[in-house]
Amino acid sequence: MAASSAPSANFRTWPIVLLLTLLSLPLVVMYIYLFVDTVTDSSTGSLIPDTFTLSHWDFLWHTKVGKPSVWVVLVNTLLFATSTTTVVLLISSMVGYALSRLNVPGRSVLLAGVMVMHAFPSVTLLIAIFVVLQMVGLYNTLIGVILVKAALDLPLGIWLMKGFYDTVPWEIEMAGITDGASRFTVWRRLVLPQVFPALAALGLFAFLSGWSEFILPRVLAPGNNVQVFSVYLASLIADDNNFDLSMFKAVGVFYAIPVIVLFVLFQRHLMNIYGGGTKG
Amino acid sequence: MTVTPTSPADAGAGVVQPALGSRTRRLLYGSRTLAWLLLLPGLVMVVLFFLAPVVLTAAFSFTNMSTATGVSGGVYQVAPSSISRLKTALPDLADELSQPRYVIDQAGLDALGQTSVPKPLLDELAAKHMGEVFDNRRDAERMIKTLGGRPSTAVVKQISEAFNRSIVNARFSSKTALFEAIDGLGIKATPEQKETIADNTWTGWVWTTGNFERMFASKDALRTMLNTVFYVAMVLIIFNTAYAMFLAIATHYMPDRTSGFFRSLWLLPRITPPVIYVLMWKWVAWDNGFLSMLLAPFGVAPRNWLLDTGTNAWVFVILINGVVGASMGMLVFASALKAIPQSQFWASEVDGASRWQQIVHILLPQLRWPILFITCYQTLSLLASYDYILLATNGGPGGSTEVWSLAAYHTALFNYAGNLDYGYGAAMALVLVIIGITLALLYLRVFNYRALVSRPIIEH
Amino acid sequence: MRILLDHFSKSFGAVKVIEDMNLEIRDGEMLALLGPSGCGKSTTLFSICGIHRVSGGRILFGDNDVTNVPSQLRNVGVVFQSYALYPHMTVRQNIAFPLQVKGLAAADIKQQVSAIAALVHIEELLERRPAQLSGGQQQRVALARALIRKPDVLLLDEPLANLDAKLRLEMRSEIRRLQLETGITAILVTHDQVEAMSMCDRIAIMNAGEIIQIATPSEMYHDPRTEFVAGFLGNPPIAFLKGTAQDGAVLLDKSDIRIPLPGRGRPAGAGRVTLGIRPEDFGPQGDVQIPGTIVFVETQGRENLYDVRLADGGMLRSIQPVRGDLKVGDAVTWAAAGDKIMVFGEDGSRL
Repeated sequence: MAASSAPSANFRTWPIVLLLTLLSLPLVVMYIYLFVDTVTDSSTGSLIPDTFTLSHWDFLWHTKVGKPSVWVVLVNTLLFATSTTTVVLLISSMVGYALSRLNVPGRSVLLAGVMVMHAFPSVTLLIAIFVVLQMVGLYNTLIGVILVKAALDLPLGIWLMKGFYDTVPWEIEMAGITDGASRFTVWRRLVLPQVFPALAALGLFAFLSGWSEFILPRVLAPGNNVQVFSVYLASLIADDNNFDLSMFKAVGVFYAIPVIVLFVLFQRHLMNIYGGGTKG
Repeated sequence: MTVTPTSPADAGAGVVQPALGSRTRRLLYGSRTLAWLLLLPGLVMVVLFFLAPVVLTAAFSFTNMSTATGVSGGVYQVAPSSISRLKTALPDLADELSQPRYVIDQAGLDALGQTSVPKPLLDELAAKHMGEVFDNRRDAERMIKTLGGRPSTAVVKQISEAFNRSIVNARFSSKTALFEAIDGLGIKATPEQKETIADNTWTGWVWTTGNFERMFASKDALRTMLNTVFYVAMVLIIFNTAYAMFLAIATHYMPDRTSGFFRSLWLLPRITPPVIYVLMWKWVAWDNGFLSMLLAPFGVAPRNWLLDTGTNAWVFVILINGVVGASMGMLVFASALKAIPQSQFWASEVDGASRWQQIVHILLPQLRWPILFITCYQTLSLLASYDYILLATNGGPGGSTEVWSLAAYHTALFNYAGNLDYGYGAAMALVLVIIGITLALLYLRVFNYRALVSRPIIEH
Repeated sequence: MRILLDHFSKSFGAVKVIEDMNLEIRDGEMLALLGPSGCGKSTTLFSICGIHRVSGGRILFGDNDVTNVPSQLRNVGVVFQSYALYPHMTVRQNIAFPLQVKGLAAADIKQQVSAIAALVHIEELLERRPAQLSGGQQQRVALARALIRKPDVLLLDEPLANLDAKLRLEMRSEIRRLQLETGITAILVTHDQVEAMSMCDRIAIMNAGEIIQIATPSEMYHDPRTEFVAGFLGNPPIAFLKGTAQDGAVLLDKSDIRIPLPGRGRPAGAGRVTLGIRPEDFGPQGDVQIPGTIVFVETQGRENLYDVRLADGGMLRSIQPVRGDLKVGDAVTWAAAGDKIMVFGEDGSRL
């Protein structure tokens, strides 16, 4: 963001800041308590924490009855998010290039298809996908849900990459082919390095989206062996046997660590990604 | 080989000239082969997880598939349930089918041959009574008792049981097998009646338009539809556009660092995984949560604010989705505002505009397209996504926050009864799929798809 | 190597850009494709290097028909208007790229890169990235990359358009020097007549997809075949006067000025004609007197440029050594050199 939008000297800023601060306060309180509650206890009926405790983090050492180990869940979630990201990056960078630059018969139909799929709410297909996975035997497997998640993220990825490829000067490619390189070499060695920022952005988005995904793994891979964090935490909360809000929050904070780290590191980029017509 | 200024005759002299224009070379260097190679994995994914599911959703919605019928084939089974169904259409036949039959046949004789039943007895039975059919056990046993050697009651029972050819609970993999069994039992049925029996004893799924009839007649479906319209409209109007616009404009009038802080803060819910985000709201709403404790000193009894009444549930559902949804509009509007040249603001201020006038006359008119974009986009995603509602209220209390997509999920993928009704769920999903495709196509037209497609410049 | 375009046509969809063009570029010659934007000169260049596929006709490199040969195998060197340097590679990697994709040994590549870098004077820039170079330096790198695989033909697409005036002058002579030193056949696409005239052996002037005339720069300047060519070459440009031909002379419209015609350009009968008079051929000395009024004086330093309005409203230009005695509004009667006056028919062709 350029420093172009200096506030006008003709208007006062503080009333707006005050108003927005008041409106933001509940949100801030919710987030503060999310963290504070995980390491403190407070006496009944009080909102002010009075003792420090690590007991809510007990789940790291003791697996809950009937639930998978939190470390298994962590590995599953990492596998799920990174595999999804890899598949999305690989296929989006390939298809996006073909649609942006190559002579494909029916190219404009394919492009329109991608755009319709991008706007189309793919989660409505879940019932059919559920049945498909059962038929092909990928129900309740990580591979199945990874493929589905990646496929549903693809239209966005392809569209994004196509847009970025469009901005690479044609002359770079012309120079490449007149220098004797095949179109594949031109893509891999000359064009791909130019869209690296786009790949990074798409990768970040796909990872966060995979890490947070709830519905797909809930429906397609609910088993204990393949459980990811969102499903694990939701089943903890839904379980009446060990109701402990602070423990839920501790699991939640543990689950959210990568999200928080990425958010702090890439705030600006995230704003561009989420403001750029992604699913919201 | 060094590059020195030489005559052009030297150029390329040391290099082996490739076979110009050979077919494989052209394939290698052209773009078409590469294009297909690059497209192939994507096409496979799209076909498997987009096109096939769309087609299947349409197909399933015209079936009665459920946990009970399974998704693959089925068998013909004269189960008690199918007999009770048959009773309405063919009361007499149903009755006959439900009765056991005793048929003296080779299979029964062979089975008895393995037992201790005396051989002569069986031979006599075969000689005198082969092929006879008895309507009930008493008649069959009376006949057996007439046989030579006076078999004991236990033996009579053993023999009669061996010839019990009841069709009840028998499974037949094909219609022909079912019909043969009916004929074999001596039950007289016309071909039409047999078809009716087959239809009623089939355990697999069948094609039907019943899902849509059920949907149009259902009060629940109507209520769910109204809920959906209410939900989409409220979130869209209050948060995704209005509040998002407020956030964008408010932060626009702040110094960069402050606006960056507030925008990050309001983006946070969007990035927080839904399960955690909803958990925070539950902490606010639950009976030992923030709201209850905060209000306790004022004599308000603690309660689960999220689920105690339908109205409260809606307030939370709209808040939960709205706070997430506002971020996208905020960012889109903010970047649209950033694109307005600073001189326009200076000019309007010099012209004497107040802040309010500046917003109304300079800012808002330039947000028209982003507003349309957000409206189209968020309508679609609000219609389809239900994860926040599922996690927060799960449609409750008593179905008051059940929206269409969540109802489809409950019908087909998860309910407490355990009988997942894929057919009806698919029919509900199909409604959304059709709305989705229509809106997406409309969206293509509005946002001028043609402008985005230009021909490749390199022509091979 | 000799390059031949044989009945070459190119269309994009329904739009015909070039129809049935014939052009020969001689071995070792530097030819300019000169014309206004949209005339098809870049299309021609891109067809020669294979980026565009021809719609009809043939393209020959020497005796090889390369019409259907992909760019990669045509052995051409191209310098693009934006230079198209690969931004993520160093200068050395940029120049080495054509050899690398050919699969040459690293030592070989290193040696050739050094040699070519010396030729274009960029030895000290080899480890930099394109973004760290000035426009002129980028241009040199682009030249080195185009030349390194010893192409059959060097194609230059508006190579000087992105340079500032001073660098343009320097690179003009630099490109010509490299072309002469390597003896390579070269085609320069440009819309700048000065570039074309100063750098090339011959000029092919194009308009609306057609080659109007091919000639050496001085032939073309002094003996243009059409009104378009005459108007395109020359700075300050030639001035045109409309008139009617009668008895070996031209009567200018709405005036009584008669201009006798030189023997060569005498039209057969009466008819509408256009006269072309270059600024340097109109001044105090000459044999055809033409009266008029000075309406504009532009001081160019060494010379002054005068715009003279004739009685009929037509305009002539005169370029003369600086003199201080004339100002706007003065009536003058200057003269044109009768044998330098060009006469064009109604269809624009030279008579």
